Amino acid sequence: MLKAALLSLLLMAPARADTSLRLVEVLTSPERTETLKSLVAKFEAANPGVHVEVTSLAWGSAFEKLATMTAAGDSPDVVEMPDRWLSLYGGNGQLENLEPYLARWKETPGLNERAMNLARAVGQTAYMLPYGFYLRALFYNKAVFRQAGLSAPPRTMEELREDAARIAQLPGKSGYCLRGGPGGLNGWVMFAAALAGTNEFFHADGTSTFNDPGWLAGTTWLIDLYKDGLAPKDSINWGFNEVVAGFYAGACAMVDQDPDALIALNQRMKPEDYGVAPWPKGPGGKSYPTLGYVGWSIFQKSAHKDLAWSLVAALGGPAGNLVWNKRTGALPAYTAAAKDPFYSDPVYQGWFAELADPDVVPTVMPTDLPGFAYFADSLVVRSSQQALLGQISPATMNKQWAAYLTKAKRKQAEALR
Amino acid sequence: MKRAEPYLYTAPAVLLIAAVMLAPLITGLSYAFHDIILLDPLSGDFVGFDHFREMMEDDSFWTALSNTVSWTVLSVSLQFGFGLALALLLNRPMPGRRLVQALVFLPWAVPGFLSGLTWAWLFNPVIGPLPHWLTSLGLMTSAENILSDPHLALWGPIAANVWWGIPFFAITLLAALQSISKEIYEAASIDGAGPWLRFSRITLPLLAPTILLTVMLRTVWVANFAELIVVMTKGGPADSTQILSSYIFSLAFQRLDFGYASAVSAILLLLLLAYAASVMALRRVMADRG
Amino acid sequence: MKILVRFLHYLALSAFLAFALFPLFWLLKVSVTPNDLLYAEGVRLWPSRMSFDHYGAVLRHSQFPLFFRNSLIVSLATAILATAAASAAGYAFSRFRFRGKAWITGLLLVSQMFPLVIIVAPIFRLLAPLGLTNSLSGLIVVYTAFNTPFAAFLMQSFFEAIPKDLEEAAMIDGASRFQALRQVVLPLTLPGLAATGGFVFSAAWSELLFALMLNSSASVSTFPAGMMGFISKFSVDFGQMMAAGILALLPVCAFFFLIQRHLVQGLTAGAVKG
Repeated sequence: MLKAALLSLLLMAPARADTSLRLVEVLTSPERTETLKSLVAKFEAANPGVHVEVTSLAWGSAFEKLATMTAAGDSPDVVEMPDRWLSLYGGNGQLENLEPYLARWKETPGLNERAMNLARAVGQTAYMLPYGFYLRALFYNKAVFRQAGLSAPPRTMEELREDAARIAQLPGKSGYCLRGGPGGLNGWVMFAAALAGTNEFFHADGTSTFNDPGWLAGTTWLIDLYKDGLAPKDSINWGFNEVVAGFYAGACAMVDQDPDALIALNQRMKPEDYGVAPWPKGPGGKSYPTLGYVGWSIFQKSAHKDLAWSLVAALGGPAGNLVWNKRTGALPAYTAAAKDPFYSDPVYQGWFAELADPDVVPTVMPTDLPGFAYFADSLVVRSSQQALLGQISPATMNKQWAAYLTKAKRKQAEALR
Repeated sequence: MKRAEPYLYTAPAVLLIAAVMLAPLITGLSYAFHDIILLDPLSGDFVGFDHFREMMEDDSFWTALSNTVSWTVLSVSLQFGFGLALALLLNRPMPGRRLVQALVFLPWAVPGFLSGLTWAWLFNPVIGPLPHWLTSLGLMTSAENILSDPHLALWGPIAANVWWGIPFFAITLLAALQSISKEIYEAASIDGAGPWLRFSRITLPLLAPTILLTVMLRTVWVANFAELIVVMTKGGPADSTQILSSYIFSLAFQRLDFGYASAVSAILLLLLLAYAASVMALRRVMADRG
Repeated sequence: MKILVRFLHYLALSAFLAFALFPLFWLLKVSVTPNDLLYAEGVRLWPSRMSFDHYGAVLRHSQFPLFFRNSLIVSLATAILATAAASAAGYAFSRFRFRGKAWITGLLLVSQMFPLVIIVAPIFRLLAPLGLTNSLSGLIVVYTAFNTPFAAFLMQSFFEAIPKDLEEAAMIDGASRFQALRQVVLPLTLPGLAATGGFVFSAAWSELLFALMLNSSASVSTFPAGMMGFISKFSVDFGQMMAAGILALLPVCAFFFLIQRHLVQGLTAGAVKG
């Protein structure tokens, strides 16, 4: 009798040792949530007694949501960390230092160099395990191009402007889908850097380069593109969704986007109607498409850090990473993954061509600066809209950007001392 | 025990509101005097009136303030004007009045953000009919989205707000109209007063107290109502539709600067309190006189 | 002449009717437009090909039924609790003169005067240690507090319409005030209670900011927060979003349709005194 009771107690024990992990995703979409849940299910199967609670935050409010939760002490164990937020959370000591875990992990050597560099963007310490890259390229509407008598996408900025002008003559069509609203900073940088012939954001002394003639010429070029009617008048307010919608509705024929836009486009456009080309080069012969990245981070406050790392390893290890990126459209963080047949699809050729071309310099935005999110989401939006409307001159806009960035750089330098 | 009765009755409401709204309000307002950047563990210092000084130099603040005035005055006066007209129309008996009344009050049941999204669609020339209709009526030169034009953008949220808010005024004013006894009107028309005189000498004065209170509550509420603007234009283009409460939202949740956001909120609260106090004073004056 | 006035009367009312119903009609139109025609036929008054796919997707594949249920629970609970607290307070304002009445009234007014955005973080901090964040109960507590002031003013005006003599008579006969309230006054204010409850219900039903900020799990999300989920980083599923919107509107519109008459009636009685 006693033996039976003891035995049943022993058998019950593992069930009672249930640990719960909280995982938060922020770039939420139905497909991503599904993929994430299937990867999580595999992890739970491999780790009996562990339950992972997946919380999917709507992207539109994810930033403020996560900030509010974290500020009140209610942070998850593992979170999907976009590059833009890394300096906010990593720089403020909210994230667990992943170096010791990476040092012990057998998959670490398989990560490509860029991945490791980006992981260490803040304080030269790895606060995240990147899962993929987003490299901008030029999407163009083949059908509209054909209509305007153009057979190939533009390879230089000059050609882009000419093509845009040709297309703008077609009734109801415009050349370029400008992103004048939130999230447009990357576009501004890509155009301006190509025309400036440099992607340096700061001089050696820590002052911003935005006041330099090259950058000024670049931003003026884009403002003129809008003022001359080569982008839709509406686009001054356009965010991601409007830009992509304008593209697939045929209202504008060219747009700069990342591979993850393919998901939305594939559902709404026929594959033969659009193409992806390397970002056009400036007069200096070089182009500077922006490179973004997202990864997985562990919060400092997590009570189950080792287990959280296991989850991150499961999601971010070569197998999980490939599955994830195939569904989410990022370029993989592992060197070996590029050889996967999935990426031999002609649409991906545009990106791999960019990566192979020495005159294409992927540009990482200075997301490690404190206050970068505000710069990108508020200051740039407001000042660029004012400049597009002619309320302020391009020189004034550049000056505002330069002043803010110089101050941020100085703040960062002081914090490191 | 008897004397405690009123306090017992009001206790549940008062306790709940004090705990959930006022205590957090005081906490929130106290941030105005500190440097509070969310998630920055080094922030939190007392900075006195620094934020208020910053506000005086802040162009965005002044733009938001003037937009708040335009937004509130235009929304409330249009809501009131049309609401009164609708109430007057519904005050006459006619067949099918019940049904018409019920249908015409439906916009009030639509959540704010949903009506914002719908109106944003209606104003978009690619997917909505309004720009085309306005162009054919000659009110616009070409079918464009007014939400992208800094001179016209505020009219978008105002239109949505008026659509949504007319039922509120219509219901309140209709109730007030129906409470005026018919005999007064009959006596007046026997004395030879025409419809305009009846309206201005009888209807308006009797409605005045209700009008004042309702308009005051509504004005305060609209001044604080940022949902439509955030959903339709996010304050753009170039801050042309940014009002104080949407500016506060972006300060708090984009710049994560809770200190400055609270300072702006404190100013907004003060302005609205001053407004409410003056309306109450006006009401008392009118009551004493009339 | 009379016919002309009548005609103008009808014309004006029709204009109001068209204005009120057109956006709702457009909502409906988008909800039955298939995705490929959404932009191509954007401006048409009715799509060339109707489809109920969006409704099917919303009901079967999204978590919308769950969000709907959560909204229903939160809104009903809020309506009941807020109406109860508001009735008690409104009754007190109507019947008693007491020290502190002006202060309490002032308190309730001030609570309506600031943008709720500034108390999001303090409320989160208040509710987190109590375990009320990420829960329906937390929302109910918060919504009840937000809606009680206005509901109290409404109930006050409904009570004003009932003469004091009624409960005074009952109390002379030996009933306590509370008994008199319950048995004599409340039954007469039933339309007012229904109207106030309906008002609070629709306010709680539409609330977005706190629903989004206080709750994160899908299991406790209300439908406005759920609808924001149709806007992902990569696409906006307008068709499904509008279908969800129409589904969510049906109960509220129906409810509103039924109570608006009581709202007018009840307000009428209290308006002149107001």
